[in-house]
Amino acid sequence: MSKVIAARTERTASKAPASGVALKWKRWRFYLSALVLIAPLAYLPEYFEDLALSRGDAGLGQREVGEFAVGPWSVRLAEWQIAPPEREGLAGYVKLFTLAQCQECIGHIKAIYLRVGEPRSLRTAGSLFSGSPYRQMAEVLIPERTGPDDEMWLTLEGWDGAVHQARVPLSEASPSTVQWLQQRKGRP
Amino acid sequence: MTQAKKVSKSKLWFLVHSWLALPLWVFVFFVCVTGTIATVSQEIVWLANPAVRANAPSPDAQMLGYDAVLEVIEREHPGTVVEFISRPVKSQFALTARVAYPDATEASIYVNPYTGEIQGSTSGFSFQQFMRALHGWLLVPFTEGFSLGWYIVAFLGIPMLGSLITGLVVYKRFWRGFLKPRLRLRQGGRIFWGDFHRLAGIWSIPFIAIIAVTSIWFLIQAVLFDNNISFSTFGVPPIVAREDIPPVEAGQPPPGITLDRAAQIAQQTFPDLEASFVSLPSNAYDHISVGGRGAYPLLFETLSINPYTGAVEHTRRVSDRSTLELVTGSMRPLHTGDFAGTWLKLVYAFFGLLLSMMVFSGMLIWTKRTAKETVAEVKRRKSARAGRAVVAAEGGRSA
Repeated sequence: MSKVIAARTERTASKAPASGVALKWKRWRFYLSALVLIAPLAYLPEYFEDLALSRGDAGLGQREVGEFAVGPWSVRLAEWQIAPPEREGLAGYVKLFTLAQCQECIGHIKAIYLRVGEPRSLRTAGSLFSGSPYRQMAEVLIPERTGPDDEMWLTLEGWDGAVHQARVPLSEASPSTVQWLQQRKGRP
Repeated sequence: MTQAKKVSKSKLWFLVHSWLALPLWVFVFFVCVTGTIATVSQEIVWLANPAVRANAPSPDAQMLGYDAVLEVIEREHPGTVVEFISRPVKSQFALTARVAYPDATEASIYVNPYTGEIQGSTSGFSFQQFMRALHGWLLVPFTEGFSLGWYIVAFLGIPMLGSLITGLVVYKRFWRGFLKPRLRLRQGGRIFWGDFHRLAGIWSIPFIAIIAVTSIWFLIQAVLFDNNISFSTFGVPPIVAREDIPPVEAGQPPPGITLDRAAQIAQQTFPDLEASFVSLPSNAYDHISVGGRGAYPLLFETLSINPYTGAVEHTRRVSDRSTLELVTGSMRPLHTGDFAGTWLKLVYAFFGLLLSMMVFSGMLIWTKRTAKETVAEVKRRKSARAGRAVVAAEGGRSA
C-alpha cells in the first residue's frame, strides 16, 4: 500500500506539487464507505429502546392513557408510541393502542374493540385487540374526517354475551394524533 | 488493430470490475461478515448457552406433546399466557415458547422437549435478532414501510452481481481454474491474494449468484411493499365465525380443542407435513395455526384450525401458491440457508467467510496493482484521443 502511494506521490509531484489534502483524499477515499457504519452506532440506543418497548419492559406503551371502567370491568389503555398515526398502505392512517385487562376480569372478556366515533353495532365496533390479557394491541384506523374533538369508543364483549362500552376523548387517548389532525386541517 | 481493441476492452472490463466494489469495500465487507455470523447465529447461541440445547435424559426418551408443555409452564409460572411454541427442525435445540407474563412483559423461554424443564429464557436481547438487524438494515428502524438501512444494504446486491459477471469476463477461461487450482503462497502478497481472489471466486460462483440475486430481490420487495404493490394470492385472513363460539356462562372457561388435538388434526389433514410450530389464538376469533415444512422444504405450509370446533378452515400449501410466489418466497431461505439443517448453515458460513475474504483480497489487490493500471489506462486513452485530435501536447499535459 505504502509503496503504491509513494509511487503515485512521486508521479504527482513531478507534474504539479500535490497538496496534503489531495494526497489524503487519494489515500482515504476508499475507506469513506465506512461512514455508513455510523448508522448502526447512531441507532443502537434506539434499537434497545424499541426492544424494551416490544418486550414490555418499558410498560404497556410509551404513554399510558389511564384506567377506564367499562361496565363491571376495567382496562388500562396506552398509546404504543407518542407519535402521529402512520400510513398503512391503502388502508389509510392507523394508530396503535395497547391495553391491559384488570386482574379480576381475565377470563370473562371475550373481545375488546376500539374505534373513532360511536359504533352502530357490535360488528362495526372497530379494531379487535389481539394478544394476552396482560397486554393486547389494536391498530385503530384514524379516518381522514376525524375532528380533534371526536371520541374513541371502547367496546367490551363478555363470554356470556354482555356488551359494555366506554368513551375516551381522542385528545386524552392520543394528543399527538389531535396535533397531527390540526396540522393536516390546513392542508387541502 | 483488432487485437489492440480486444485488449483495451478487457482492460476496461477489468477496471469496471475493480471499481464496482472498491469505493464501497469497507461497507460490503461489514455486510458480508455480519451476514456470515447471522447465518450461524443460532448455532453460536447453542454453543454459548446450554439452556437452548435439548439434551435427552435417555436415548429412548419421548418428546412431550404441546399440552404437556403448557402444563409445565402453567405449573412453574402460574398465569403465564403461551402465544407460540416452536419445535426447531433440528433435534439438538430446545423448544422455544413465546410467553406473556402478568406484569405485561414478554419473553421467549426454552423448554426441554423431553422433560418439560424450563431451561432458561431470553433476557430481552436476542443475539440472533441483533445480528439479523445489524446485517439486514444496520439497525435503522422500520417506521413507515421499509427501513432506509434495508434499502442501502439490499442495494449492494447490484454491484455484487456486477462484480461476479465482470469477474468471469476478465478471468480468461476461468473454468480451467477448477481443473488446475493455483494458490501460490511464496511469491509475495499480490500473487497470493490474486490467486486467492480468483480461486475463491470461481468456487463461489453459485453462492455469490444466490446472495446477489436474493439481495436484489430484497430491494425489489421493499420497493413493491412501499408502493403498495402486491401479488399475494393469500386472500383475506380467516376469522372464526361468531356462531361457532358456544355461549359460555359468566366465569366459565370457553370450551375448545386441546393443542395436541390440533396437532393431530394437522397430521391427519396433511400426513407429509412436518409440523414445527403452533401459534395459539391471539383473540377469541382467531384460529390455532399449525405449520411446518412439507415436501418443498423452502416454504412453510400452514393450517388454520377452529379452536372451538376443530374444523380446518384455511390451509396454505406450496401448491396454493402462484409460480411468482414460489420463486419470491424461496428468496429469503435461499439467502439465509436455514432450510436444511446445520450442515447447510455451515456451508453458507464457509462461503460467507470466503466472500468476505474476497472483498478484502480485492481491496488488497487494488492497492497493490489497480491503482497503477488505472492511471496508466487513463493516460493511454487520453493521449490516444488527443493524438487523433492533433492536440497531443495539450493532452499530454492534462493527463
